[in-house]
Amino acid sequence: MSLLSKLQNKDNGIITRSDLKRPQVRILYYALFTICLIITIISIAPPLWVLLSSFKDIKEFTIEPTILPKEYDLNRFIKTWNDLKFFKFYVNSFYSVAGSVVCAIVFNGLLAFALSIIKPKGSKFIYALVLGSLMVPATTSIVPLFININKLGLSGTFYPLWFSIGANAFYVVLYKQFFDTLPKSIIEAARIDGCNNLQIFTRIVMPLSKPITMVVAMYAVNYAWSDFLLPYLVLNNSGLETVMVRLFQFRNGKTADVDILRAIVFAIIPPIILFTAFQKQITQSNTHSGVKG
Amino acid sequence: MVMAPTLLLFAFFVWEPLLASIRLSFYSAKGMRVIEFVGFKNYIDVLHHPDFLPAIRNTFSYTIWSLVIGFLVPIVLAIIINEMVHAKSFFRVGTYFPNIVPGLATVLMWGFIFRPGKTGVLNIILGQLGIEPMVWLSNPKLTIPLIVVTMTWKAAGATALIYLASLQGINPELYEAAIIDGAGIWDRIKHVTIPGLRNLARTLLILQVISVFQILYEPLVMTNGGPNNASISIMQLVFKYAFEKFDYPKAAAVSVIISIFLIILTAVYNKFSKVQDI
Repeated sequence: MSLLSKLQNKDNGIITRSDLKRPQVRILYYALFTICLIITIISIAPPLWVLLSSFKDIKEFTIEPTILPKEYDLNRFIKTWNDLKFFKFYVNSFYSVAGSVVCAIVFNGLLAFALSIIKPKGSKFIYALVLGSLMVPATTSIVPLFININKLGLSGTFYPLWFSIGANAFYVVLYKQFFDTLPKSIIEAARIDGCNNLQIFTRIVMPLSKPITMVVAMYAVNYAWSDFLLPYLVLNNSGLETVMVRLFQFRNGKTADVDILRAIVFAIIPPIILFTAFQKQITQSNTHSGVKG
Repeated sequence: MVMAPTLLLFAFFVWEPLLASIRLSFYSAKGMRVIEFVGFKNYIDVLHHPDFLPAIRNTFSYTIWSLVIGFLVPIVLAIIINEMVHAKSFFRVGTYFPNIVPGLATVLMWGFIFRPGKTGVLNIILGQLGIEPMVWLSNPKLTIPLIVVTMTWKAAGATALIYLASLQGINPELYEAAIIDGAGIWDRIKHVTIPGLRNLARTLLILQVISVFQILYEPLVMTNGGPNNASISIMQLVFKYAFEKFDYPKAAAVSVIISIFLIILTAVYNKFSKVQDI
């Protein structure tokens, strides 16, 4: 009964309450509901399968494949974690992510602050250049970038990963759009009180911009944790490999399938924790930004 | 002055490499040392290499498949989710979920699903239905569509959220007016919903083409370009030249070719969509 009574509240979208009085429309509604359910199951099932399968041993996985594992033994995870020395790569990844987030916020925020609030001569031109770099395929410049990084002796360090995210046109746009909405009077008042530009940024603008900083931080965490190409080129065989770089190396090496499955689980768990904690903010920020990150 | 550090980063990571890429493509080099100007020699060599034609063909194939499979799924998904009164937020969060799975983990995972023989997940499922195991990724006809399915699995939910926001921005009075005019459900979709999404769909279409055109690690990890070059992408050629053969100028030449393609594509597209607007 409650299923049906809920349909009485439908007052937006294409199908309306009065349509739902017709049995055909109600059948259509439940058909669409089923489609939605199937798509959602397809979205969730593969990672769930990886999680379940990673409990299996090699025999169960390759010789007599089963869908569900016969037993759930966490010791296998601990063994893989130790065998693959995953702790080290976790630490590397966390280190890389932390620096990336700081750089993403500070540098993109500063540029957007200059473009939105200080507006020095030529800022329109600079903004056009920044926007332009959104349109030009980034991967095409990977070779000279790699050469530059090597020439400066920065390969095998986290600096290129940290600082490259400080030059992200998308985050600059997000920040600038937000700064444009801040009341000018507060900034003027701070200036009269003798604040210089840097103080206005750190004491006035950034504290007022927590919501957008959260969005940028979440994007940056996800990006830095998942990024593969630049970390691979910079960190390969340096001992500082991140989880993703290691995952790629496993795939090329002789690691057993079940160990790779467990490594995938290790790689997915931190984003899942983050997603569960900030689920609302993440899905909403994605909706509001209107552009894919 | 506050923007100087960031501009320096943009110069180092974005602008200078772009220009350097163009310059490098006209030079010969030994490792990372540039030697002499060779004109279009790198371009000619790259174009005549037997991998070039398959890579170009495949890249267009990826793009077309991603439009066939990937472009409509988020739109339809968003329209359906928007109509739901039951479990709406569950659907929203559930379909967004693949987006948080890192790209590399996604392709490794789907590699297990598409594995040939009786250990592949898809084959196990088909086996329950009494269907013999098949080869998936190593079937040249299926490789590209299956890689595109993987990409769609990851991205569709996140894109659907963007469409959902746009759907919620459609003025409800438009639907009311359509109903008063006697429009059925299909007419409402055709005359209210689709026009409401058109501009956003256009923008996302061009962004999708730009990103799929640069597809690299999906084929690199799932098939390594195989079987027999059936899935090699143009960006993978850049990777091969640069980081397997260490022939940086040729890699730069392929990069420049990709950029030229995309610039032409964007220009043609803009012109085309402007004509449509009038």
